[in-house]
Amino acid sequence: MNFDYSEEQKMLVQSLERTLAKTYDFETYRSQLATKTSHDPALWNSLAELGIMAMPLPEAAGGFDGNHTDIALISAELGRRLVPEPYVSNVVLSAFVLNAARGDASLDQVSQIATGETKYAVGFYEPGERHNPLAVNTTAEKTDGGWVISGHKAVVLGGDTASELIISADAGGASLFIVPADADGLSIRKYQLLDGRGAADLIFDNVSLGADALIADAGNAEAIILDAIDRGAAALVADSLGAIEEIINMTKEYLRTRTQFGRPIGSFQVLAHRMVDLLVDYEQAKSMSMEASVEAINENRTERQKAISAAKAKVGAVSRKFGKESIQMHGGIGMTDEYALGAYVKRLLVNETLFGDTDYHLERYSSL
Amino acid sequence: MELSLTEAQTAFRDEVHAFLDENLPADIKKTQTSGGHLSKEQHQRWHKILGDKGWSTPLWPIEYGGTGWSPVEYAVFDEECYRMGAPRVLPFSVSMLGPVLINFGNDEQRERFLPGIKSGADWWAQGFSEPGAGSDLASLKTSAVRDGDHYVVNGQKTWTTLGQHGDWIFCLVRTDATAAKPQTGISFILIDMRDPGVEVRPIITLDGSHEVNEVWFTDVRVPAENLVGQENMGWTYAKFLLQNERIGIAGIGQSKEQLVGLRRLAAAEKKNGKPLIEDPSFRAKLSEVEIELRALDLTNKRMLVETERGMDPGPVSSMLKIRGSEVAQRLYELKMDAAGLYALPFQPEAGDAGWNDELAGTLAQARSAPHYLNTRKISIFGGSNEIQRSIISKMMLGF
Repeated sequence: MNFDYSEEQKMLVQSLERTLAKTYDFETYRSQLATKTSHDPALWNSLAELGIMAMPLPEAAGGFDGNHTDIALISAELGRRLVPEPYVSNVVLSAFVLNAARGDASLDQVSQIATGETKYAVGFYEPGERHNPLAVNTTAEKTDGGWVISGHKAVVLGGDTASELIISADAGGASLFIVPADADGLSIRKYQLLDGRGAADLIFDNVSLGADALIADAGNAEAIILDAIDRGAAALVADSLGAIEEIINMTKEYLRTRTQFGRPIGSFQVLAHRMVDLLVDYEQAKSMSMEASVEAINENRTERQKAISAAKAKVGAVSRKFGKESIQMHGGIGMTDEYALGAYVKRLLVNETLFGDTDYHLERYSSL
Repeated sequence: MELSLTEAQTAFRDEVHAFLDENLPADIKKTQTSGGHLSKEQHQRWHKILGDKGWSTPLWPIEYGGTGWSPVEYAVFDEECYRMGAPRVLPFSVSMLGPVLINFGNDEQRERFLPGIKSGADWWAQGFSEPGAGSDLASLKTSAVRDGDHYVVNGQKTWTTLGQHGDWIFCLVRTDATAAKPQTGISFILIDMRDPGVEVRPIITLDGSHEVNEVWFTDVRVPAENLVGQENMGWTYAKFLLQNERIGIAGIGQSKEQLVGLRRLAAAEKKNGKPLIEDPSFRAKLSEVEIELRALDLTNKRMLVETERGMDPGPVSSMLKIRGSEVAQRLYELKMDAAGLYALPFQPEAGDAGWNDELAGTLAQARSAPHYLNTRKISIFGGSNEIQRSIISKMMLGF
């Protein structure tokens, strides 16, 4: 057993840390939010230049053949800095789905993800179906020259910035299609999530597509969908760990420096002990995040789903507790928009809920 | 990063398994897996078998009879023992006193006492807590007054686990009542419990068991050579002893075995005509504790590996103790809840060697409530969880 990251991984994280420290502080985040955009092309390009998109992608697509522990390290840094860029939707989900569905034929597309040139997003979930990724009411009807798609995809992460959308639709069973964002009949309702990351609802009203829009048929799509959400979940769990570490720093500092009744509030045992419970929870969450990052690519589905669900449920519950407790310990200042704590709490809420919330994963864990 | 066992570690697990398979006496396995109380003879017979193999003191330095196992190997050993129904040797002599003698005792003491600890021939009890000194251990009052070549000991210790079997007791005693700080007037001394003036009185706990005792000292004459280390330095040794307990403190092996037992019990119980284990609300609780244990297992190994490599052990043992005790207590609680109505008939000796009465329900049901009640202790002893939180907050917050 060993719990270490490689020297190469540590160097990658350090360079990412340095870049973000220079270019993306909390004030930058706030001013970006004020412009109501989830995406800054200059930042996106600098991330691409660092190689963090290419890192986990296949060498044949210009990547570095990394693994999911790379993704976990990168995600944690993005969470720590509140970066809203569509990293997970592109590098974790879309690149995987394209590659799994199309094999070598996807290398061109994946290489454009590696360089950050083209943005994709993946939509599985639907209104009224909560967290079930396999509940597909969107229909795909076969026509002479291709397909006609109708339906509604809910809260598609990165759907606001993607030019290509990968969605599931029922063509005699869940199947995967790729749709250009400017297709006739497709309306995209863009919005930002609680923490500033971008997403969209996709409404398909008889959208006509060519035959080549189908990238995974009913026989293959289900496995790809299940694999993909586990990878997404593992990345968000790591993202949450980065955010939690920052919350710990802020809250410890506050307990040490905020004085009331003539003493630092951290010297009150009722607060000190609650903080200790959070620190223990953090260690537990960290262990589960590590396991999720290793297991995310396990081809044994039961083992993988157990590890991912355990991590998503555990980190989800810990995140919720961190959110509530850190605000409470900060008191009034924790309620304000200009103090960073709230942004982290919102980041955690988004991570908790996407790709299966705590209840969903607890239930899935129970069923395995 | 590699989170599964290496080939060598898997081979080691197989070796432990084969040894236990061959050497664990059937009656001891039966008492252990029944959840009953082992007799003194059973404890000592098993301790000796492990001692003969060289496995009773694995964490000691190799030159004193340790095995040189890594923390992960120790965890593998611990889990395999529980899986196979083998009891663990009691910690008082092996984990607590042994390392103190090795680090702070003299050669005569090591030669005299370490062999009896390794073999289990000497039964050691721990004499720290007193009626007025629980969490505030340094306020202890039992006094040892120097009189020629002896100390004369007077006072009372309490919560002495299995002291009814004791040959010896290692005690914290006050040797300087005028010291500026309570911590600085304490010494660490070894007392023969068979000496005149030592009296052991049982304390029956709410689960109906006789596990703990009061130990009274009235003018007990203890040879001065039984002082460990220097006079008035006992507090330092006691702190070393408590922090030395890192490895194994999370109780992973035991909790994993309890989880197996809980699942078995819940599979046998029925709710609405179906096994309880299929009930959604029970399953959610089961999954929560299972995930917590899964995380703790990994956290335990991660922290011990990091500590061994020289990272500051800091609050590691306190963290592992807090969460380990919480998980264990939750498992016992769920087991009692799963047992249902038949958790109620009170048969506290069920499962003990030689107990032959008729069970009201099953053995697992009979043990469930006494175990739940008994294990309330684990968040209290060895420094209560509140004391552990204060230790962590001092280290990590500075308060």
